[in-house]
Amino acid sequence: MNIELLHQPDSAIARVVLDANEELVAQAGCMIAMNGSINASTTLRQGKGGGILGGLKRMVAGESLFLSVFRSPISGGEVFLAPKLMGDLLTYEMKGQELVVQATSYLASESGVDIDLGFQGFKSLFSGESIFWLSLSGYGVVLLTSFGGIYKIPVNGEYIVDTGHIVAFEKSLNFDITKAGSSWLSAFLGGEGLVCRFKGQGNVYCQTHNPGAFGSQVGSKLPPQ
Amino acid sequence: MSQQISYKIEHSPSYASLVIHLKTNETVLVESGAMAAMDTCIKMKSRAKGGLMKGLGRMVSGESFFISEFTAEGKSGELYVSPGVPGDICHYYLQGNALMIQSSGFVAASPTVEIDTKFQGFKGFFSGESLFLIRATGIGDIWFSSYGAIVEIPVAGDYVVDTSYIVAFEDTLNYNVEMLGGLSFRGLRTGILGGEGLVCRFNGEGRLWVQSRELYSLINFLNPFRPTKSN
Repeated sequence: MNIELLHQPDSAIARVVLDANEELVAQAGCMIAMNGSINASTTLRQGKGGGILGGLKRMVAGESLFLSVFRSPISGGEVFLAPKLMGDLLTYEMKGQELVVQATSYLASESGVDIDLGFQGFKSLFSGESIFWLSLSGYGVVLLTSFGGIYKIPVNGEYIVDTGHIVAFEKSLNFDITKAGSSWLSAFLGGEGLVCRFKGQGNVYCQTHNPGAFGSQVGSKLPPQ
Repeated sequence: MSQQISYKIEHSPSYASLVIHLKTNETVLVESGAMAAMDTCIKMKSRAKGGLMKGLGRMVSGESFFISEFTAEGKSGELYVSPGVPGDICHYYLQGNALMIQSSGFVAASPTVEIDTKFQGFKGFFSGESLFLIRATGIGDIWFSSYGAIVEIPVAGDYVVDTSYIVAFEDTLNYNVEMLGGLSFRGLRTGILGGEGLVCRFNGEGRLWVQSRELYSLINFLNPFRPTKSN
């Protein structure tokens, strides 16, 4: 599989060239164009706490569980993929480690990467944002996307990141959700609701802009539904 | 006899702006409302090209597809053209062949280019997505725009494109709209709207341009953030 990133950073688009019978898994709906010979199928991926009911619950929470699988019968079949919002793309190589990805930041991965939807790490999150997380493991390349630019923070020790700015982080890091300020009142009045405090060693990938903040700022000025 | 108009495209691919350098008495057709800045020697004239009926056809094909004519009178001058939506701009030189452009993608053209609206709606379209195309023929320059970057794909054989990402394609390509079962959510019985997997299948040989983003995705993203009516 050969992945080429074009038009970075704001309008990034990925061109993926597949070998014969190679499979590419991608967030459903992100395919822009492809060779006519490529077979596509879309499936409902269920998490650990899954079953139909679990799936329904997630759908209500605005979580898209749909993944498309692209397979080329011949060598050299190409697929163009892009995220929905303006922003950058990043390729991340999985070599057996685990990576936690914000669901909207996941774009695609090689078939050797396992996607687990049941990551409950931030279960206690009660900020109205419907962020949910995927836990990736296995081997192969993962394509991540950001709203705005993307930057890496190599954590060694402790680091604090706003939850809306997290694209992905390595699971070698311990984390807990906490408030940014010293008191809950100042945390909420200061607008920095909940943050993630990372501990240990590993990389955190962040996006320069928070889609939720953009959405509420623009959305509040639109006519009511 | 038609000479190429001298131009450059700046701030590509995300905020592309077209700078046209008009020679003395040279004329260019520009999407109405897209002029951003110009020298004072350039005079604007709106024009209902091809008479009333064609104008009506344009109203059907695009929201406000009207064309203005800009002429450099007496001396040469510069004209900045910016599409309403930030994105990329591409140039194409027509040599008697035809180019199909998604209706809101027209930016500018030589006066020798004929622009024809070809009604392509409803054929296999539901869910509010519609593909309206305009057909440019003749000899001369044409510029078209996108939301997001433009990627050129040289098609030889069979190619599939999500209908909402089509920017333009050469008329040598055959196309028809179909539903690609593998991309459809319908068979999954989820009750989720959208994502029917409507694609345009191209056949033959020719160039195709797609955009890297799509405006409806942004609108759909913003929609849930709208305030709720209190009554």
